[in-house]
Amino acid sequence: MNAIPQLFFDAMSLGGIYAMAALGIALIFGVMKLVNFAHGEYIAFCVFALIVPSTDAVAVMFIGKAPAIVLIPILLLVGAAVAVASEFFVFRHMRRATPVAMMISSFALGFVIQNTLLLVYGSRPKAISLWPELNKPVSIIGASIPLLQIIVILTTLIVVVALALLLKKTRIGLEMRAAAENFTMARLLGVRANVVITGAFALSGALAAAVALIMVTQTGVADVRMGGQIMLVAFIATVIGGLGSLPGAVAAGFLIGAASVILQGFLPLEARPFRDAFLYTLVIVVLLLRPDGLFTSNSTKPRV
Amino acid sequence: MKHLFTTTALIMGLGTTAMAEDITIGFAIAKSGWVEAYDAPAVAAARIRIDEINANGGLLGKQLKWIEADTKSDQAQSASAGLQMVDEGADMLIVSCDYDFGAPAALAAEGEGLNSFFLCAEDIKAGIQGVGPNSFSASILAAVQGATMAEWSIKERDAKTGYVLLDTTIEYNKGICTGYDWMFPKAGGEIVGRDTFLNGDASIASQITRIKSLAEEPDVIMLCSYIPGAASAVRQIRAAGINSTILNGSAVDGSYWLDAAPDLSNFIVPVQGSIYGDDTRPAVNEFRDAFEAATGAGPSSTYAYPGYILIDLWAKAVERAGTVDGAAVTAELEKMDNEPTAFGPRSFSDQLHHQNTAEMQIVEITGGKPGVIGSFTISEPVPLDVLLK
Repeated sequence: MNAIPQLFFDAMSLGGIYAMAALGIALIFGVMKLVNFAHGEYIAFCVFALIVPSTDAVAVMFIGKAPAIVLIPILLLVGAAVAVASEFFVFRHMRRATPVAMMISSFALGFVIQNTLLLVYGSRPKAISLWPELNKPVSIIGASIPLLQIIVILTTLIVVVALALLLKKTRIGLEMRAAAENFTMARLLGVRANVVITGAFALSGALAAAVALIMVTQTGVADVRMGGQIMLVAFIATVIGGLGSLPGAVAAGFLIGAASVILQGFLPLEARPFRDAFLYTLVIVVLLLRPDGLFTSNSTKPRV
Repeated sequence: MKHLFTTTALIMGLGTTAMAEDITIGFAIAKSGWVEAYDAPAVAAARIRIDEINANGGLLGKQLKWIEADTKSDQAQSASAGLQMVDEGADMLIVSCDYDFGAPAALAAEGEGLNSFFLCAEDIKAGIQGVGPNSFSASILAAVQGATMAEWSIKERDAKTGYVLLDTTIEYNKGICTGYDWMFPKAGGEIVGRDTFLNGDASIASQITRIKSLAEEPDVIMLCSYIPGAASAVRQIRAAGINSTILNGSAVDGSYWLDAAPDLSNFIVPVQGSIYGDDTRPAVNEFRDAFEAATGAGPSSTYAYPGYILIDLWAKAVERAGTVDGAAVTAELEKMDNEPTAFGPRSFSDQLHHQNTAEMQIVEITGGKPGVIGSFTISEPVPLDVLLK
C-alpha cells in the first residue's frame, strides 16, 4: 500500500466535508454577520428527513427510498427550506440586533430543532443504509480508497467552483458580494436585501444537506447530536479562514481535515486520544500568528 | 405537561410520607433527552419485578410503590431529581444507567444513607469507589465484557492475533479494552496493534489505513465503542474489505442498527441476557416475553434486563435484613455470593458492588441476523487493580 496517496485522499475527503460545512457558515456570516450555530442541526435535520418519522428503534426509509437522481435534489431542497424557514421565522426579525444577540438566538434555534427531532424520532440513534456500495474501496495510484471519498472530493471542488461562478458571474452573486462588503451601502444602491439574505440561507441549507448525505453514506447512522462536532470544526474553519471569506473557509476546512488525518496517522499511540487537543493547539497558534485568519476579507477590517 | 407531571409526582410523594404502610422506590431517571433511550427499557423491567413482588404479597408485608423524577439527561438536573426523590420519602433510589448521569442523584441518596442502584452502569465508579458504601450497579463491569471476548475468541475461535480499536469518548469503552488487554495476552493471544478514535468522528479512514497496512489481517478486532460511533466504524471497516472477527462490549447489542452495516457477519456481542428469545436459560426467555407483553415490544437491547435483576436482588436483601435501612440492606447485599437469579449468579462484597465475573451469552451476527451461539464465563474474575486502572 502506498502511504502518501492514501494519506492524501483520507485528508482531502475529511477536509472536503469540513470545507462544505464551513462554506455554509461563511456564506451567512458574509451577508449578515451571523454565526449560525444552528447549522449543525440543519445537517441532523436533513439526515432524519431520509427516514419515516417514528420513535421505533428500527428506521424505515422515507425520502431515502427514492433513487439518487430524485433523492439528492429533494434533500437539497429540504435543507434549503429549513434554512430559509429559520431565516423567515427567526433571523428576519433580528436584522437590527447585535451579532451577539443573533448568535445566541441561533443557539436557541439549534436547540429547538434538536429537541423537535428528539420528540419526533426518539433519542436512540438509528441506522440508515444509504448507498452502501459507495463505501467499497477502489484502487487509485496505489491507494485503496472508498468510492465515496472520491465523490466527496469531487463534489467539494464542483461546489466551490459553482459557488465562485455564481458569485462572480450572476446578479445575485454580485449582490451577495456587495452585501458582504457593506450591507448598508449595498441596500442604498438598490441591492434587494431580502433576496440576497434568503438566497444565502437557501445555499447554506443546501450545503448542509450535501454534508448530511455524505455523513450518512459514510457512517450509516442518524443521531440527533451528529451535527454538533462538524459544526464546531466548520466554525473554527471559518474563523481560521478569516470570517466572511469564502475561499478562506474552504481552504481552512481542507487544512483542518488534513491536520486531523496527519495527527491521527503520525501521533504516537499514547498521544492519539488527545488528537483534537493537538488540533486545537494548532488552531490557537494560527490565530496567534494571524489574528484575523489566514484570508481576511476586506469587510471585516475597520476602515480609517 | 411537565408541571402537571411534577405536581402529580409531588402529591403522590406527600401521600407516601403520610402512608407509612408502603415501601417507596424513587426513580431519578431520564424521561426526556438522549439518555432516555437507555433508561426507559430498564425502568420498564424494574417495574415488572415490582408488580410481581406486589402480586405475591409485597415486601415485608408492605406494598412497593414507585415515584419518579426526570433528570432530563442533564447532570445538574440529576442531582435535583435525586434530592426530590429523597424529599418525597423514597426508601431507595434507582438512578440513570450511565455513571455520569446517575451519580449526582445517587450521591443525594448516599447523603441520606439510602441504597442506590444504577440501572446499568458498567464503570467501577458506580458503586463504593465513586459514590459511596450504599451504592450498587446491577450490570456487569465493562472489563468483564472485554475479558470475556478475549478468552472466548482464543478458546472458541482459535484467535491468535488481536487489534484494539478504542473509542476514547467515554469511560465505559476504556473499561472494555482494559479487560481485553488484561485477558488476551494472558490467554495466549498477541495484540498486534492498537488505535483510537472518537464516537462522533465523521470518518475513521486513517484508522482503517493503519489496520490495512498490517502485514497480516488480525484474527480479531476488539472494538471498544457504542452506537452510533460503533455502527459507523463497523460500516467503514467492513466496506474497506477487512473481514476480521469483530468483538464488542454489550453496548452494541440489539438489531436496530444493523442496517448501517448491511449483511454483517463475524460480529460478536457478549450480553447478560438474549433479547431474541434464544437465551440458553429458559427463565430469561420467559422474562423477555413478559417484557413484550407488558410494554408492547420486546427489549431493544440487553440493557433492559439489569432493571429486573436489581429489584430482585434488593428485595431479597430487604427481606433478609427485615428493614429498608440502607446500611442493613447493604450488609445483606454484600453477603451475596453467587446468589442465583434468572440471569445467572450475582455476587457483591465490601470491596466491589459490581460483577467482576459473570456468565455471558455470546451473540453472533451472521448475514445480518443475530443469534445466541453459546454462553461463556471467564476463567478468573477481573482483579480489582485491573478494574481501577
